[in-house]
Amino acid sequence: MTDQEKGERIREIVAAYPADQRHALAALQDMQHAFNFIPEEGLVELAKHLGCPQAQLYSMATFYKALSLTPKGEYIVKICNGTACHLRGSMNLATSLKSELGIDPGQTTEDGLFSVELVNCLGSCALAPVMVVNDTYHNRLRVEQVPGIIDSYRQGGASDE
Amino acid sequence: MSEMLTISIDGKECTCKKGEYLYDVAKRNGIFIPTFCRSDAFEDHRACCRICIVEVEEGGRTKVVTSCVYPVERECSVQTRSEKIMEERSVVMALLVHRAPEAPSFKNMVGRMGATETDRLVTLDGEKCILCGLCVQACNALGTGAISTVNRGTEKKIDTPYGKGSDACVGCLSCANVCPTGAIEYSETDTTRTIWNRDFELVRCEECGQVMGTQNSVVFAAADEVVPTMCDSCRKKHLADEMMATYRYV
Ligand code: SF4
Ligand code: FES
Ligand code: FES
Repeated sequence: MTDQEKGERIREIVAAYPADQRHALAALQDMQHAFNFIPEEGLVELAKHLGCPQAQLYSMATFYKALSLTPKGEYIVKICNGTACHLRGSMNLATSLKSELGIDPGQTTEDGLFSVELVNCLGSCALAPVMVVNDTYHNRLRVEQVPGIIDSYRQGGASDE
Repeated sequence: MSEMLTISIDGKECTCKKGEYLYDVAKRNGIFIPTFCRSDAFEDHRACCRICIVEVEEGGRTKVVTSCVYPVERECSVQTRSEKIMEERSVVMALLVHRAPEAPSFKNMVGRMGATETDRLVTLDGEKCILCGLCVQACNALGTGAISTVNRGTEKKIDTPYGKGSDACVGCLSCANVCPTGAIEYSETDTTRTIWNRDFELVRCEECGQVMGTQNSVVFAAADEVVPTMCDSCRKKHLADEMMATYRYV
């Protein structure tokens, strides 16, 4: 995406909302979807449009886990660390991801392909432990399965349909 | 007219309006309750430090409340220094000093009422901020809105967006002045004030040379009016002299 395209996309997202502060979160979410993070220009543009301080949007963007100020990977790997998943060894999954990708939860691989996140209960406790890659659930996951799953995303084959 | 109530605070009879905050009633009656996160500059209060707790007995039941935001709705009897309160306040104080060991205002307070000894709390070395948010409230009230809380949980702090100098900031020091713990750092030379990662040019009164504030804050405060070049007292003096000159012969 060129800078110009990015600017246009930002203006589109912002213009879709009435100039009222209660739309701040929705617009930030749209940016997160469009760019995999919230670019600084986007935050500035949105503050102008809504007539609110940048600081207020920055506060929101750093508060919600679903929003990020640094680019996230193409594949976002969420490991559930809710009670059920934790008891069923979610931390072992995190360790295995670390040896596979070399990153801790909260980080993104250098090639920009993967981000790993620890999240709270995903509402599928019966299927614990759960790992979600973009929108695909991997349930009752065993540590041995992790490398294979990651490989399939690396090859781009198992996209998230 | 709003309803009046009579309550007792530490045995003293006090009259107040229904809905008035307990802390305000006590203060008016010369009864000291410690506070950190409350400023008279604002009508709504942060109510987060908990140091202002008192015991309220209402209809035969006793409870511990934060006096800075507790509205008096009915007759009650209040204890600001009961054994229970002193003990709980010293726990609150322990929490606060572990959070912000470098806060100068805490030293004196710990001396006055002690802080519960415990090895169960982690001390945040070098920290002064208790995250009360008064500074953010002050900045927003001014209409600048340059700072906010950033992150959440243990990572939470007060900062400008991206930790960079902010275009919204005018360098007025409202945040630093309202902070109960002196947590907001700034420095000044003869000509420049540095705060929140940005340098501001200082302006001085053209008459007496006193610092009037930063260039940005003086312009901001003037809004659409003419930007003053003299400090308040010199301006008043000038005005009086002018009046004298004009009306002398009338
Ligand atoms: S910097 Fe001061 S005023 Fe601001 S949150 Fe921290 S303690 Fe409160
Ligand atoms: S704890 Fe993982 S889905 Fe509920
Ligand atoms: S002064 Fe009441 S809670 Fe801080």
